[in-house]
Amino acid sequence: MSEAATIAPASESSKLVDFLRLLPGIALLAAIGLLGKLAEQSISAYGKSHHLALPNIEYVLWAILIGLAVSNTIGVPEIFRPGVATYELWLKIGIVLLGVRFLLGDVAKLGATSLVFVAIELAVSIAIMTWLGRALGLSPKLTSLLAIGSSICGVSAIIAAKGAIEADDEDVSYAIGAILALGAFSLFAFPAIGHLLGMSDHAFGLWAGLAVDNTAEATAAGALYSAEAAKFAVLAKTTRNATIGFVVLAYAVYWARKSRGASVEHKAAFLWQKFPKFVLGFLLISLMATLGVFSKPQITDLANLSRWAFLLTFAGVGLQTNFKDLRKQGLRPLIVGAVGEFGIAALTLAMVLGAARFLNLG
Amino acid sequence: MPSDPVPRKLSLDWWSVIAALAASLLIKSGLFPHIPW
Repeated sequence: MSEAATIAPASESSKLVDFLRLLPGIALLAAIGLLGKLAEQSISAYGKSHHLALPNIEYVLWAILIGLAVSNTIGVPEIFRPGVATYELWLKIGIVLLGVRFLLGDVAKLGATSLVFVAIELAVSIAIMTWLGRALGLSPKLTSLLAIGSSICGVSAIIAAKGAIEADDEDVSYAIGAILALGAFSLFAFPAIGHLLGMSDHAFGLWAGLAVDNTAEATAAGALYSAEAAKFAVLAKTTRNATIGFVVLAYAVYWARKSRGASVEHKAAFLWQKFPKFVLGFLLISLMATLGVFSKPQITDLANLSRWAFLLTFAGVGLQTNFKDLRKQGLRPLIVGAVGEFGIAALTLAMVLGAARFLNLG
Repeated sequence: MPSDPVPRKLSLDWWSVIAALAASLLIKSGLFPHIPW
């Protein structure tokens, strides 16, 4: 490594070093993901060979649990951290590749249904969080961050809003802590509730995509239910993510007016800057699949590649969740977040169950 | 998700699109014969 760094020119060598720094963490993600896959296969094979009806615990859950165990016992050593942080890249690659499983017509149809739900979810989430934040005496900017985080896409939205509303680092850290803690809880609670209610894959996926805040957790909650539910969860969540620019812009304008700070000029450029570009990749791959660019075996290969990318993501979700860190964030933002999220989850569940009756979400 | 304080020419989103498109083109061209799960 050092030899390569000496030979290469300065800027290239630093890029090479940056790249090499990622490798241990990526290897750890892959190792944990593979261990999860191995655990699922071994338990299933053991059950079959011994004629035992063992519960089918999917690789998704194993990967998350192993990651959680590592993160909360020995911790993630410094050398692995840069690579572990790439889990978001794998998530987005997985989502873009998942576009191959959707025909563009389906995306338009399902996306339009999701968009109606997303609009209602956004309005209600923001109203609930704003009211709760005021009632429990949280600072107005922390309340805004929690409202943005719970209504759109969790931590990414909070980070996008941080600069736009000039929030304090402490408020950002509180809001992120609350959203992450609730995401970890939703990951396990949602599939359990879905099974209890006997929800269809489509209905559950839609619910997870609408109510679970972080994209990684929403995808994992869907995948914990079924592979089909994960598809719908990703689609609903991606639709929700696409609104990030509008909500952050609205908050930026509100705070700029309130604090008489610099107003947001070039609103179209602002919207484009905040728009999650991987959504375009998802649509492009979906378009290519619709136009018949890929053969059936190639579609299967791309879908499998997407699952491999998600495997790394799920290991990363576990490794990035540290309960001790989450506890440090304080109780009040967590209470506001938990009560608000409960209300949002209940409302979106009622919407989805209602739609399942009338729109035939089989 | 973690933010990157170092300014990059391309965002994480664009990298994910490029990587996924490159993979799909490699599969389309037959350079990846089969990806098992």
